[in-house]
Amino acid sequence: MFRILKITGDSMSPEFVDGDFVVIATIPVFLRRLKAGDVIVFRHAGYGTLIKKVERVAEGGDLIVAGTQADSLDSRRLGPISPDKVRGKVIWRIHK
Amino acid sequence: MIKRILEALDKHAGFEQAQAHCDIPCGIYDPSTAQIAALTVVRMMDLMAALEGGEQKSTGEFHNSMERYIAVKEEHAEKAKHEIRIIWGDYFKKDKHPNVDDLVYRIMQLGSKCRQTANREAGLEFVAAINEFAAIFWETKGIKTKKANAPYAPSLEMVYPDL
Repeated sequence: MFRILKITGDSMSPEFVDGDFVVIATIPVFLRRLKAGDVIVFRHAGYGTLIKKVERVAEGGDLIVAGTQADSLDSRRLGPISPDKVRGKVIWRIHK
Repeated sequence: MIKRILEALDKHAGFEQAQAHCDIPCGIYDPSTAQIAALTVVRMMDLMAALEGGEQKSTGEFHNSMERYIAVKEEHAEKAKHEIRIIWGDYFKKDKHPNVDDLVYRIMQLGSKCRQTANREAGLEFVAAINEFAAIFWETKGIKTKKANAPYAPSLEMVYPDL
């Protein structure tokens, strides 16, 4: 239902910085209502477990994601994120 | 308090990590390669003009030198275009830097013109446009820039990060 994860990297700064902890909700009902602005944790075949912000929801439900930094890895390189790859939605952050 | 507990737990058990990745290589972008390549284009144009104004036309030496200048001009015009495309495509965000698109388009056009012709004016415009791109790039990094003449021919005014 809930998981705690630790952030590595700074592509989501200043909202989330390296060393922060986040609590994610993995309950399906949370994940069915994802919208622009939500911060999600998802699995990517090439890059592993990532945390990014939903920029928009594309037709068909795929998620277009981005970081907050100019050089953040985003959907231009990651591609659209299928909803079934989403591990959870961030519901609480604990700054270091 | 919660933070301390989580850190202690993390030390003992280790939480799963979620990566807030930057691009790979992580944030290593620099327009200087494109600037130098554009300068090289103008340098080759100057060498071509000097050779053309010389007396040893139609000799093997002439053709050999001219071929080499043209080849290097071609290579560096394309190199500059490539470098700009990488920074534009992988670094800049359309919503945050909407004006860069027009500038990049202009650089692509000028780069092609430099390949197609030996027009020095086009070469100078190519250098100027890439300098403009460099200034915008460093501004996004919060780094001031300065203008100075390159310390080698063709000694054009260039934009450098003021580090």
